[in-house]
Amino acid sequence: MAVTTPPRVPAPGRGAAVRRGVPRTVPKRGPGRLDKAGPVAYALLAAITAASVFPLYWSVVVASHDDNSVLAGSTPPLVPGGHLVENLQRVFELSAFWQALGNSFVVAGTTAVSNVLLSSLAGFAFAKLRFRGRNPLLVCVVVTVMVPTQLGIIPLYMLVTDMGLYGKLSALIVPALVSAVGVFWMRQAVEENIPDELVEAARMDGAGLLRTYWHVVVPGVRTTAAVLAMFTFMFAWNDYFWPLIALPPENGTVQIALNQLAAGYYTDYTLMLAGVVVSVLPVLAAFTLLARRIVSGVMAGAVKG
Amino acid sequence: MALQAASTTTDPPARATTPRRFRGERHLLPYLFIAPFFLVFGVFGLYPLLQTFWVSLHDWDRLAGAGEWVGLENFGRLLEDSDFYTATFNTLSIFVLSTAPQLLAALGVAWLLDRHLRAQSVWRALVLVPQYVSVVAVALVFSQLFGRDFGIVNWVLEGTGLIGDPVDWTADTWSSHLAISFMVMWRWTGYNALIYLAAMQAVPRDQYESAQIDGAGRLLTFRKVTLPAIRPTIVFTVVISTIGGLQLFAEPFLFDQQGNAEGGAEHQFQTLTLMLYKYGFINNDAGYASAVSWVLFLVIAVVAAVNFLLARRSERG
Amino acid sequence: MGPTRARRTAAALAAATALLALCACGSGSDAADGRLTLTVATFSDFGYKPLIEEYERTHPGIDVKERISQFDQHHNQLSTQIASGSGAADVVAIEEGYLPKFRAVKDKFTNLADHGALDREDEYLDWKWEQGTLGTPGFVMGYGTDVGSLAICYRKDLFEKAGLPTDRAEVGKLWPTWDAYFATGERFRSRVGDKAWFDSSGNIFTAMMNQTEYGFFDARDQYVGDTNPKVREFFMASAQATADEQSANLQPFSQQWNAGIKQGRMATMTCPAWMTGQIATAAGDAGAGKWDIAAVPGGGGNWGGSFLTVPKQSKHAKEAAELADFLTSAAAQKKIFTGPVGALPSLVPVLEDPEVRGTTSEYFNDAPTGQLFASSARGLGPNYRGTKDQQARIPFGNALQLVEQGKADPEEAWDKALDEADKNLR
Repeated sequence: MAVTTPPRVPAPGRGAAVRRGVPRTVPKRGPGRLDKAGPVAYALLAAITAASVFPLYWSVVVASHDDNSVLAGSTPPLVPGGHLVENLQRVFELSAFWQALGNSFVVAGTTAVSNVLLSSLAGFAFAKLRFRGRNPLLVCVVVTVMVPTQLGIIPLYMLVTDMGLYGKLSALIVPALVSAVGVFWMRQAVEENIPDELVEAARMDGAGLLRTYWHVVVPGVRTTAAVLAMFTFMFAWNDYFWPLIALPPENGTVQIALNQLAAGYYTDYTLMLAGVVVSVLPVLAAFTLLARRIVSGVMAGAVKG
Repeated sequence: MALQAASTTTDPPARATTPRRFRGERHLLPYLFIAPFFLVFGVFGLYPLLQTFWVSLHDWDRLAGAGEWVGLENFGRLLEDSDFYTATFNTLSIFVLSTAPQLLAALGVAWLLDRHLRAQSVWRALVLVPQYVSVVAVALVFSQLFGRDFGIVNWVLEGTGLIGDPVDWTADTWSSHLAISFMVMWRWTGYNALIYLAAMQAVPRDQYESAQIDGAGRLLTFRKVTLPAIRPTIVFTVVISTIGGLQLFAEPFLFDQQGNAEGGAEHQFQTLTLMLYKYGFINNDAGYASAVSWVLFLVIAVVAAVNFLLARRSERG
Repeated sequence: MGPTRARRTAAALAAATALLALCACGSGSDAADGRLTLTVATFSDFGYKPLIEEYERTHPGIDVKERISQFDQHHNQLSTQIASGSGAADVVAIEEGYLPKFRAVKDKFTNLADHGALDREDEYLDWKWEQGTLGTPGFVMGYGTDVGSLAICYRKDLFEKAGLPTDRAEVGKLWPTWDAYFATGERFRSRVGDKAWFDSSGNIFTAMMNQTEYGFFDARDQYVGDTNPKVREFFMASAQATADEQSANLQPFSQQWNAGIKQGRMATMTCPAWMTGQIATAAGDAGAGKWDIAAVPGGGGNWGGSFLTVPKQSKHAKEAAELADFLTSAAAQKKIFTGPVGALPSLVPVLEDPEVRGTTSEYFNDAPTGQLFASSARGLGPNYRGTKDQQARIPFGNALQLVEQGKADPEEAWDKALDEADKNLR
């Protein structure tokens, strides 16, 4: 935690050292370079892809059989059966999965939007505005990036209970409205993407700070904002520890609903894995549509700050 | 490619707005801009963390509330509790077992992806698939794959003659750690590979060319040019993996079908977070659980400090 | 340009507001059209599905949702919800072993006596009623659901293979005591080497513990697991039998356990009435007719059985109390017993109902489940449970698992259990 100045944090933007002096284009790689993929590379990649996809395929296989006996055979199930649709229907019939999907969407969506808005607002202030105590406050932000706030979970639980938020989605949303990582990231993005002259020009034109924020800053940091939104969404969607504590199972998130399917003395694994399929499908569908953007988003997140 | 995307967003935002009266900068506004963060962090981040310490100094039942002041007794009890050492060992062991091979594998995958490929974007998207699967789904699916009697892992290992009897993956320290690490690895390798890939593509081309001229082969170029260039990114991924890896909860929690956070009959895969959950939310001993919290905090701080030292060295080196 | 921007801003703000509004009302589940939703939370299939359908038919305007959780998680979450003052279901099942844990917070539960529960006292088995009142006159914490009269389920075909008698009366005579039961296990194993004698040492230990009045705690709620000779006797007996390879080493209620039942990996299982439903589900159609039921060694015993409670935080305590009353009514309990779940009623009139007495289970070779379970139920007594009974139960269960995994001999496991229990009960 011996951090004294902001840039000490090995943020994704460390690659920036490389980038700053370089024009903002990827060096094009001409053909005939040493890194042309041969059959071995393709074979390896195919194997890796297979390993990435196999557990999902297997879930679909189990979810498409009619009962647990598929798991108790002498050979594991590798060929799909004909009951997938039926099992998917049962997931929605037997559990509050629609509600859970809705809850997850609300929580993840709200925190993603609020993180982008509040982080970029704070990032703008830190990057472009002069005010007393700016630097020490910024150091505070940077230090808190490293603080594992999850460890305060017991008092957090008590606090949320005292505020009457236990069992409500706001118990998940309010503590996650804005994060240190987000503020730090957006500050970097504002600093690097918005020249001071632009802010000055807007001000000269008579735009107030809020207008400047909305018309100059927000459009200028769109890419970073999208990456931040995506990460926040994924994080909220996947969180399990806190929802397990703060929400009752019948008003839970997808993760809680999924766990519920595995509960009870007798677990119906075809049902449970159908639940896994249901929980993965919307994310997978959205991400397939956006695959290109997400891949570049993840990669941008790595290189950008 | 990523950077190209980034560059397109710096479209000139200075649109001709009608000149208006210059409003002047309000002194309060910047503070208002940063206030939400400090408010949220103060109330839901810092306060609970400090309060954790306060709670740890009491005999505190989660349901009944604060009891009497006991000073450092909870910490003393923790130091005498063999479960605590087991949990610390488990946490570090699973962390190392999952992080080291994962990052190495990610480097390999990135290296494979960093070349001319047909359907390049498809490969990249496929590698990222595990990231879309939630932790709970991963834990539930892999618990089945690692099942003792009907798990596919045992079936394959037995089929290839690597093991004679089926392995009870939950029963032993090494096997449970391996299984849990595997879940973490599966989910994160592709993600880290893409991060490395981005870093690799930012390495200036002339560095490769001069290496080529020197007659360096593929592996040597990778070692001499690529690795040093992406070192900061590697440090970054290590730091991120540290914070997540040391707080592992869902995987070990769901690996045990009993759902009671014991982490196996001998606590062989009870991580510190699992222990925190057990005492805090099952036994309702909030005081003791808070002591666990603080120790976990220290462990993370120490590991993070080591990371920082490494990061500094890599900067100089 | 200006208006477009403004509109976009407005749209973004509207979307954000809508999201916030959504979450603000996300938890209140009462629809505005006057319909009422009651949630029933249990930890396994209680057989309520047809009853709930019936209730919804006869009570238009009321929807009933059923929520099933994992056993320990269900009760842990209930503590959280009781402490938080919200989030609990309207009707919550509490298993008898966990009931004492909620004794200290009993004022957080609706006194069902205020909703006419006292009228039902005469119906109940005395001790079951007593348990549900927590010994407080005028207070009724929960309506008893079922009791878990013990028996042994056995695989007829495997007994035949081992040359053991297969008739249920004769089988019962094989094991007047647990020692005799384990001795029979030796005989069985010497002839059918590839099958185990019982499913899990944990289940054997639990069954034995359920035959004694005081187990881990004495009447003053003091932990006596380390000094009560019965605890050691039962622990060592089940551990020794496991060390002698009589156990199939199947963690109760796990996937392996369910599959093990289906594959017939063991010849016998301890069988409280509700277990018959578990076996039938796990073994499936292929297991029909292979199982039978005989008397348990060591006299009768009670394992399990639950209570339906209504937390005070329920916004519809009155309706919830009515629903709990309905789900535990004589008609309901009879239906459950004769249905696939087979949980044994806790009401005297039902237990004496000739139809219930005459119930046979087709799945279990037409075993006279009515006679076997119902006739012994009246002779049962409660087992005393300490406030922290579950915290004691887990370390002993873990220690037995060590024996199953071959990591400890019975003595080592016993020492480990005592150490861990001490730690867990601090």
